[in-house]
Amino acid sequence: MIESEFAQSAVRLILLALVILLIPASYRVVVGPSLPDRLSAVDLITTLLVGIIVLLALIEETPVVVDMAIALAAFAFIGTITIARYISEGRYF
Amino acid sequence: MLLEMLGIAALVFGVFFCAVGVLGVIRMPDTLTRLHASGKVAILGLFGLLLGAALLVPSTALRLLVLGLFVLLTSPVATHAIAASVHRRREIAQQLDDEQGADDNDDSAPFAVDVTAVLARSQLDEILEALERTQQRRDNTDTQ
Repeated sequence: MIESEFAQSAVRLILLALVILLIPASYRVVVGPSLPDRLSAVDLITTLLVGIIVLLALIEETPVVVDMAIALAAFAFIGTITIARYISEGRYF
Repeated sequence: MLLEMLGIAALVFGVFFCAVGVLGVIRMPDTLTRLHASGKVAILGLFGLLLGAALLVPSTALRLLVLGLFVLLTSPVATHAIAASVHRRREIAQQLDDEQGADDNDDSAPFAVDVTAVLARSQLDEILEALERTQQRRDNTDTQ
């Protein structure tokens, strides 16, 4: 439970800062000169999204929302490994 | 009250490292240095956020611990896979450069080769070779 007014507004401000950080991170996805650049930028964006979901769980005060963050981290890991293998070996497995 | 202050301090720590990592990903000159900057977001930034969340709402602490352990295991593996792919692509581009070096020495864009297309072509070559081998084997059994 977050009781004080100050803590609630601070958490909302930090959530806003994280959402704004997504915009400069997606710059590297659009511009990135090579494929590994874009891949690492997508990985960075999913990490930021995991942080955003954790802060949402904090604001809603429902611990179940953190499960979404765990699932997102797992799928991002599988996707990153697969694409990294594809762009270096030319095949998935 | 003290717990709340500590939690907000940890959140600010985490969001500071997220901002530094994103700045590094934009400003760094090379792919591997950019990878180094994005690794800071995954460990320091996210762990600051997780610690702050656990201090502010203690009922989520167990799930956040699981998430933190998972990220601690998977994030270095993913970063290593990307770094290995960068290395492998440079090797392939270097090989292609050496093969074509005799007729055109264009050093202005050393890695401007589409490595993925080359890889796809090498896959195709492998498949064609395998087909040829099976064909030869079939011919051999016919003659016998």
